[in-house]
Amino acid sequence: MGDFSHLVQFLFSGLTSGSVYALMAVSLVIVYKVSLLICFAQGEFFVVGALTMVTLVSKGLPMPVAFALSVLVAMVLGALVERVLIRPIQHTGVGNLIVMTIAISLALRGSALLIWGKESHILAPFSAGKPIAVLGATLQPQVLWIMGITILVLLVIWLFFEKTTLGVAMRACAENQLGASLMGISTQKAAILSWAWGAGIGALAGMTVAPLLFMQYGSGVMPMVKGFVAMSIGGLASIAGAVIAGFLLGIVEAYTIGLISSQFSDTIVFAILIIVLFIRPSGLFATTGRREV
Amino acid sequence: MKLLAKYWWIILLLFIALYPPTLGGMSPYRAGVLIFVGIYVILAVSLDLLMGYTGQISVGHAAFFAIGAYVSGILTVKCGVSPLLAMLAGMGLSAAVAWAMGRPVLALKEYYLAMATLALNEIIVTLIIGLQWLTGGASGLRDVPSFSIIGFSFDNQIHYYYLVWAIVALVVASSIVVARSSFGRTLIAIHSDETAAKTFGIDCAAYKVRVYVLSAIFASIAGSLFAHHMGFLAPDDFSVFTSINILVMLYLGGIGTIYGPALGAVFLKLLPEVTLQFQDYEMLMNGVILIIILVFVPKGLFGIVTGIKNRFVTRGAG
Amino acid sequence: MKKIFLVIALVVALSLLIGTSSTLLAQAKQPYKIGFIVPLTGYLSWLGEYMKRGAEVQVEMINKAGGVNGRPLELVTYDDQSSPETATRHAQRLISGDKVVAIMGTGTAVVSGAVSSVANKSKVPAVIQSGYALSEKETFTFNNAHPTDFAISRPMMYFQKRGINQIALLMPIGPLGELGSGIARKHAPSFKITILGEEKFDVKAPDVTTQLAKLRTLNPQAIMAFTTGEPAALLARNMAQMGMNIPLVVSHGNATPGFLKLVAQTPTMVIVPSGKIMAVETLADKDPVKKVVVEFNKAYQAKYGEPGNYYSGQQADAVSLIAEGLKVTKSDDPVKLRDAIENTKGFAGNNGVYNMSPTDHQGTRMEDMILLTVKDGKWAVLE
Repeated sequence: MGDFSHLVQFLFSGLTSGSVYALMAVSLVIVYKVSLLICFAQGEFFVVGALTMVTLVSKGLPMPVAFALSVLVAMVLGALVERVLIRPIQHTGVGNLIVMTIAISLALRGSALLIWGKESHILAPFSAGKPIAVLGATLQPQVLWIMGITILVLLVIWLFFEKTTLGVAMRACAENQLGASLMGISTQKAAILSWAWGAGIGALAGMTVAPLLFMQYGSGVMPMVKGFVAMSIGGLASIAGAVIAGFLLGIVEAYTIGLISSQFSDTIVFAILIIVLFIRPSGLFATTGRREV
Repeated sequence: MKLLAKYWWIILLLFIALYPPTLGGMSPYRAGVLIFVGIYVILAVSLDLLMGYTGQISVGHAAFFAIGAYVSGILTVKCGVSPLLAMLAGMGLSAAVAWAMGRPVLALKEYYLAMATLALNEIIVTLIIGLQWLTGGASGLRDVPSFSIIGFSFDNQIHYYYLVWAIVALVVASSIVVARSSFGRTLIAIHSDETAAKTFGIDCAAYKVRVYVLSAIFASIAGSLFAHHMGFLAPDDFSVFTSINILVMLYLGGIGTIYGPALGAVFLKLLPEVTLQFQDYEMLMNGVILIIILVFVPKGLFGIVTGIKNRFVTRGAG
Repeated sequence: MKKIFLVIALVVALSLLIGTSSTLLAQAKQPYKIGFIVPLTGYLSWLGEYMKRGAEVQVEMINKAGGVNGRPLELVTYDDQSSPETATRHAQRLISGDKVVAIMGTGTAVVSGAVSSVANKSKVPAVIQSGYALSEKETFTFNNAHPTDFAISRPMMYFQKRGINQIALLMPIGPLGELGSGIARKHAPSFKITILGEEKFDVKAPDVTTQLAKLRTLNPQAIMAFTTGEPAALLARNMAQMGMNIPLVVSHGNATPGFLKLVAQTPTMVIVPSGKIMAVETLADKDPVKKVVVEFNKAYQAKYGEPGNYYSGQQADAVSLIAEGLKVTKSDDPVKLRDAIENTKGFAGNNGVYNMSPTDHQGTRMEDMILLTVKDGKWAVLE
């Protein structure tokens, strides 16, 4: 148990936090790609998904069923939010819409407080099992689940948006609303679907990550902020970039804490973020020449 | 009637001046609430200069609020400096930080600019926590004295109310002057089309930095006033969430109109006075009320009051 | 034109509403109003809930028995959202608007600081509960929580008895961590304990194995982490994951049913300093605390279906202390109330027997604290 094992632990710790940030970042980037919106309510879909699953599991439903049902609930919620709150103001400018998502997140968090109370809840890991031990360091199996599900999400999203008619249509709507509607694509349908998708993926992120943390009505805020940071490192345009950036963020955090200072690690990480932004203003993985919105 | 419309701001000033002895009933508590309102009006207006006129998104304005507050707090508590001098020192430091960070930060676009300002906010807050020997750390800085000018101490809430609102009036007035000056028009030109502005030989970056510095100075003033009003400072009040609150005030009131964000600040700070009775339901109620306003008055509260001209010129921050 | 007036009317209406009292009770006798500032929303809302319940149960108990001096007690409750600024506004509102005779509550040191600042300026007694360390200047503030000194010394006493003399500190970034660290270093030498090293962690972090790995290289015999709630449970979980079989001491803020649920399945040996209320069965009949705790638990159980816990009991004590003071002064004068509370002697509460004085505004002793640990998913008394 010499010097080596704790260095490996730093890596595993980074992967653990990183997996949380990455999955959250993925949901944020997907939402951005389909609606060109920075959605502050994603943190709440994250929590609603997780807490709904906690409730369903506590009522005796098997995990996979609870999982699927919770995603569904979140998707319905997302669609409702779009139809009732976003549609009326969809032409009022991006700034207004973003502030609306802030108001929505406040309302959702306030509702979660009333529904699930103030206590923290636990969700069991998806597979029972001892921590994985490598070279004297340990990793929780749930982290592998998160990584696996993240890759699955990436695959499904890629397939959907590249290969299915509906997916291509939604992308068209996002890139050029007028052109798309001229081609006969229902922009209303696309908007509802994009919110449903976004909420669903946010909820999926929450449920998958929940076993690592403890969940209460306010638990979505931190992952969302870290997700935003990862998104700015990876670039808004790239979903794969978001994943890499999320893990990078977690690992950089861990090694900063481990090797430099645990008191000032946040200061250092944010300073690094600013420097990254100065050097690569559109994120590490943005394609050059492409004009970001 | 037309006269009334033209000089409505005189009525407003009269209202502010006469509030404490009339509706306020000389209550130190009501004066206290309105002091907080005034401080946030300054913050909102300062952010509007930056966001409303140049379209530069900042999600970290509380950083300068914090610098002003902590410089005032530390200098008056630990070094016995006079509050007025401390406030000037805070303004100086804020200006310096804004000037140094200005060019590289403001060169970023939209989302990335927002994240850079967020990062700056976080850095300031984590430094405040980390440098415990200087700032009191997360446990806070105690015993900040009341504001005083050459011996006259503003212990009395009602006196401080007048001081704060006098400063608010000055800040709002100077912001209006800046917005309507050729400097302001240049900013709007840069916002509308930066490339075109550059072809006219305008040094866009320099203008943006100047506005950033000005907004930082105003925010710092608000911070100093805040420190002397609270008597106690903790980093919790200067987080990114405070910055986001200020942002919400901007959109609530009507971005780019100076008066709009002031109105937004008044509304957002007075709203809890009503909803606090609902305890557990307070968070939900605040969210719902905000949603209702955003849906029914998307141009902001001030949009009800005035014409569309201003809104056409400034396209908001996106 | 009309719209301008609409807006002005809105602003005027809102400004009129400032300071209106939110309680609409029409009592036959004028009640004693006690201001209660509590984190009902925000990251400490679970704590705020316990505080609220404890205070309300105690007030009901007192009012049922006829109140104080024939007058009922009335709580005026506001949510501080764990924000010092919000708490300051509420404290000012309570004092000049609701005209309370005392303020109690706050759950965290920074909120306590803000409220204390207002209370001392306005000369109204504040009976707060948190890790906030009182300074001599704050003559109007009382802190009836067990001081952090006790919460840290008590486990150190246990360590000394068991031959544990090398520990590591893992402190949260925030006021609790600053307090815990300073006080641990202050008391360690008197218990012959060496602090091998210290790391800090972010209470919102999903994983702290990095810091634990760093500390493990120093071979500590125990870890002291002055943190409350989810982060404390995460520490326990991470330590179990890493196979670190050494005791973990956390803050006394964890002596609650909520925390028990979070660590019930975790094998790590968690040590939680607590008040005696969490182990009623072990109390001797002649212990003056027992009678108080039993009565309080009965009332709490009747209302909430579970026995009272450390935080509820502590809050109930604040109510009792204020009530006792009012019994002595028989007046609404806050300054006289402060003097009365300051002279409380031998008063039994849930947290212990209070002996206050002008130099001691906390009143309890280290003997009033016990150590709890978790066995088979339930609380067990360690010593």
